[in-house]
Amino acid sequence: MKENEALCVVFSTFFRTGLKAKRTRVFILLGLVPVLLMLAVRVMEGAGTLEAGAAAEFFARVTLALYFQLLVPVLALFFGSSIVNEELDNKTLVYLTTVPVRRRTVLLGKFLAAFLLAALLVAAGFLLCFLSASLRRLGQAAAWGELGLFLGAALLALLCYMALFSAAGAFMKKSILIGLFFIFGWESVVQYFPGVTQKFTIVHWVKSLLPIPPGEGGFLIFQLQPSPPLQSILALLFAGALFLALSVFIFERKEYIFSDNA
Amino acid sequence: MTPVLKAEKLSKWYGNILGISDIHLEIGSGITGLLGPNGAGKSTFLKIAAGQLKPKIGTLTAFGEEVFNNPRLFRRIGFCPEHDSAYMEMKAGEFIMLLARLHGYAGAEAAEKSAKALDTVGLLDNGDRPIKGYSFGMRQRLRLASSILHDPELLMLDEPLRGVDPLWRIRIIELIREYGRQGRTVIVSSHILPEIEAMTNEIVLIHQGKIFAKGDIHRIRGLIDSHPHQISIRCPQPRRLAETLVASDFVLSVEFGPDGRSLTVKTGQRDLFFESLMRLIAEAGLEVEEITSPDDNLQAVFDYLIGK
Repeated sequence: MKENEALCVVFSTFFRTGLKAKRTRVFILLGLVPVLLMLAVRVMEGAGTLEAGAAAEFFARVTLALYFQLLVPVLALFFGSSIVNEELDNKTLVYLTTVPVRRRTVLLGKFLAAFLLAALLVAAGFLLCFLSASLRRLGQAAAWGELGLFLGAALLALLCYMALFSAAGAFMKKSILIGLFFIFGWESVVQYFPGVTQKFTIVHWVKSLLPIPPGEGGFLIFQLQPSPPLQSILALLFAGALFLALSVFIFERKEYIFSDNA
Repeated sequence: MTPVLKAEKLSKWYGNILGISDIHLEIGSGITGLLGPNGAGKSTFLKIAAGQLKPKIGTLTAFGEEVFNNPRLFRRIGFCPEHDSAYMEMKAGEFIMLLARLHGYAGAEAAEKSAKALDTVGLLDNGDRPIKGYSFGMRQRLRLASSILHDPELLMLDEPLRGVDPLWRIRIIELIREYGRQGRTVIVSSHILPEIEAMTNEIVLIHQGKIFAKGDIHRIRGLIDSHPHQISIRCPQPRRLAETLVASDFVLSVEFGPDGRSLTVKTGQRDLFFESLMRLIAEAGLEVEEITSPDDNLQAVFDYLIGK
């Protein structure tokens, strides 16, 4: 069997399975939180409880922060690390590693399925939030351009984080814990360091893509010394590809030992 | 003749826990039983042979090639793992179809191979049911189906009869024997001697990670049968029973239990002893509550054979 056909088989099977998985349902609910918050602000703005423009401001200050600093990385952590970890927990890896298909094909097929699922979850929630926030600007091309930029940045962030957590999941069993430390420790703190140091976080490159003028974005751009957009896109793509190659490298060479061996 | 599976100086340990040690083994076509108590190293050996683990020292080759990360070999190898694992959310048919397609079968051929494998293990009518609704025995049969669907030349089955009902035990044993008759190589692991005896005469005894004996099962059986067996009997009148038993030719010694209601008999001819036991009890008009044999597990036999 050609490897690209095998990739399609793995991708389609695990995408279908992923749609029915409990984890997906949990993240659908979690993804609804910012949408519901956004709708509440919109309703209050419409009723006059909040001043005009409150929804747009809420979107820029809270929703974007929720997505880029919490939802996207956490979603990437759970979907990315589960690519290998889930197979180890359920002891099902043996079925995918005793077929005449390269291990890299299995990993990439599963990665693509997980990425598409996570991307759909992020994009759907993000779209609903954006529509609620920009109801009055929907006729303007600039609004749709902004949406494209937000979605593009979110998908690049998702790709990069997921590839990183996929490598962590292929390398160690308790990758969720390490991933949480990374998201809420390293990423949350180092992004505020001055100079070059903040460039060692993924979130720095993601924020550099967001179309918020300096000084107007609240804590999202606090002390951000943005990099040029093209450089940020290339940095995210390069990091994503590097982490994915690392996942493949680990997965092809590592033996996975279950506790019942011996 | 070139062996299908060849291990040389094969060793594997997990941290400071020994899996297998210095195994030299050649296995050719036909059925080979891998027999040993739990934790002996049978599964470790099979997992290395199935490319799931890497040897720490030495080599293991199948068809002359190393197995780990060698996907081409899996066209020729089938492996049924011991642990109860499956994609619980998938339907059985979907799971087998996934494996059929990854084995390179497309369209109608994949469907035909899947249906044949499920039919062989009696699950064709349940193919549309999610695996999570299956019983343990059904999942065991499904694992077997996953290992045979591509008609492998080398089939490795780790405890394939665990949890399977008596009817299917007979059918699976017959299936394994049929594979052997076709000239394929089948390696079956078990810790239950009669299971292996029902499939093959060729066995490898493995204990504490080492090959303890290899060869014809009758020779091994002879060794085991010469082991003095202990049989515990619980009855309300142990002294009267002891009187009756010591007169028998098959009894080496009798010991009373601390509870005053049981005794332990040692015999050098287990089968003949059991034949005569019932007759002696009936003739003496004794009541017996329980008869157990602590030696009926393989560990006890191994302990005896290695002189513990």
